[in-house]
Amino acid sequence: MSSSSYSNSPCAACKFLRRKCLPDCIFAPYFPPEEPQKFANVHKIFGASNVSKLLNEVLPHQREDAVNSLAYEAEARMKDPVYGCVGAISVLQRQVIKLQRELDATNADLIRYACSEMPPTSTSHQYGSRRTGGQGGEGSSVDQNSGYYFPSHWNNDGHE
Amino acid sequence: MTLKGGTSQACAACKYQRRRCSSECPLKPYFPPDQPKMFQNAHKLFGVCNILKILKNLDADQKTEAMRSIIHQANIRDQYPVHGCMGVIKKLRDQIWLAEEELHAVLLQLDMYRQHYHQQISSSLPDDVVPSQLELGMAPPNNALSLFNHAPHQQPYNAAAAAAALPIAQHHSYSNNSYSSTYIDSKDNLSNSMWVQYPYATNNNNNSMAIQSQLVSGIQQEVVHDYDELHPFFDTIDDRQSYIDSKEAYESRYTLFNIFNIPKSYIHDSTTTIYMDNMLVVHNSVEFSINSVISICSSEESLKDTTQSMEHVAENELKSAAACFSLTSVN
Repeated sequence: MSSSSYSNSPCAACKFLRRKCLPDCIFAPYFPPEEPQKFANVHKIFGASNVSKLLNEVLPHQREDAVNSLAYEAEARMKDPVYGCVGAISVLQRQVIKLQRELDATNADLIRYACSEMPPTSTSHQYGSRRTGGQGGEGSSVDQNSGYYFPSHWNNDGHE
Repeated sequence: MTLKGGTSQACAACKYQRRRCSSECPLKPYFPPDQPKMFQNAHKLFGVCNILKILKNLDADQKTEAMRSIIHQANIRDQYPVHGCMGVIKKLRDQIWLAEEELHAVLLQLDMYRQHYHQQISSSLPDDVVPSQLELGMAPPNNALSLFNHAPHQQPYNAAAAAAALPIAQHHSYSNNSYSSTYIDSKDNLSNSMWVQYPYATNNNNNSMAIQSQLVSGIQQEVVHDYDELHPFFDTIDDRQSYIDSKEAYESRYTLFNIFNIPKSYIHDSTTTIYMDNMLVVHNSVEFSINSVISICSSEESLKDTTQSMEHVAENELKSAAACFSLTSVN
C-alpha cells in the first residue's frame, strides 16, 4: 500500500512520533501519511506501543482489519469517552431484542391463524418498523443507529 | 492471595504492576483482585495511563460506566484480536437485517391468513377454499421457488422449512426473559415447535442427525451466548464469559454450507445467506440439543397423524411465506 511512500515521506505514525520511518516499520502499511488523524486517535486511546504489540500478534494479512477496527474504536472513544463503541453495541442489542419480541408476538398471531383459532384482535404490528430499502445489510433503521456514540440513555430504558 | 495483616488486598492493577495499592488507588473499584485477567485485557489494549486519562475528565458515576465499557471493550478485543468490537457490531447489524426480513415475511403471511380468514367468514365456504390460499398470497408465488433454487434440497417442504424454521427461534431464544410465555401459551408453543420442526426433519431425513450433531458441536457455543451476554453485560460484568464468537460464527456458517453442499460462492447470494443464517438462528437460539432432534425424528410418524391437518395448511401457507421471503430478499 505504501511501500513506495517510505522514500517519499514517513508514515503517519512515524511522523507523529517524530522518528525515522524504516522500511520494516509496522505502522507504515496501515497508517499512510495522508491520514494523520487515524494514527493520532489510535495513539491517544491505545498508545502506539500497545497497537504495535497487537499488530505483531496477528497474522500479516489480518493487520489491516485489525488497524481499521482499532481506528474505529479509537474514534468512537474520542467521541464518547464514557461508552465508546460499546454504546453502539448496546443500541444494536436493544434493537435486536425489540425485533425479536415483535417477531415473537407476530409469530404467536400467525400460529393462532394457522391453528384456525379465533383471530386475535390485538395485532397491531406495523410494517413501518421494518426497513424499507431492500439492499445489502444496510437498513435505514440500522444506519440510524450505526453511529459511534450512543450516550447514557441505554441504562435508563431499563429492561422492558 | 494470602495476607499478612488482614488489610485489604491489592487490586488487580496494583498487583499486576507490583506496586502498593493505597486506598486512593483510582483503579481499585474496578479491578478486583480475584479477576486479574480482566485487568490484563484492559491493560493490554488501553494501558493504565490511557485508562486514567479517559477517566480524568469524567464524573464519578460516569467513571463507573466508562470503566465498564473499557473493560468490556478490552475483553472483546482479547477474544477477537482482529475485529474486536467492530466484528460484534457487524454481526449485530446482520442479525437485525435478518430479523427485519423475517418479520416482514411473517407479517405478509399473517396478512394472508387474515384475508383468508375474512374471506372464509364472509363467504362461509367449506374447506375447498384452502387451495386458493396461494392466490391470496398475491404476487410472490411466481418467485416462490427462485429463493429455494439455491437451497440444497428442492423438495416442496423446503420453503416450509426455511420460512417456518424462523419463528421458533425467538420463542426459545427468549426463554430466559420469559417473553415467550407472555406471547404464546404452552399449547401454542408445542404446536409451533411441531409445525416448524416437522418439515425440517422430513426434509433432511437422511442427514438431519449429522447436521444436528454438527450444529450442536460447532454452533451452539456461538449464539447460545448471544442474548445472555448481549443484554446484561452492563449489569453483570462477567468477563470470562465468552462474547460473541464471530470467528466461530463465520466458520460455522461455512460448516453449514458444507453440510448442505452449497458452494461457498453462494455466500454472497443474499437469499442463500438468509436461508442459511436462519438455520443457524434456529439451531442456536433454540439451544437445540441433539435430544430434541432425536425426539422429533422418532416422533415423525405420530406427528404425521396428529398434525395432518396442520400440515395440510402449512404446506400451502409456508410456500407462500417462502414466496414472501424471496420477494423481500431478492432486490
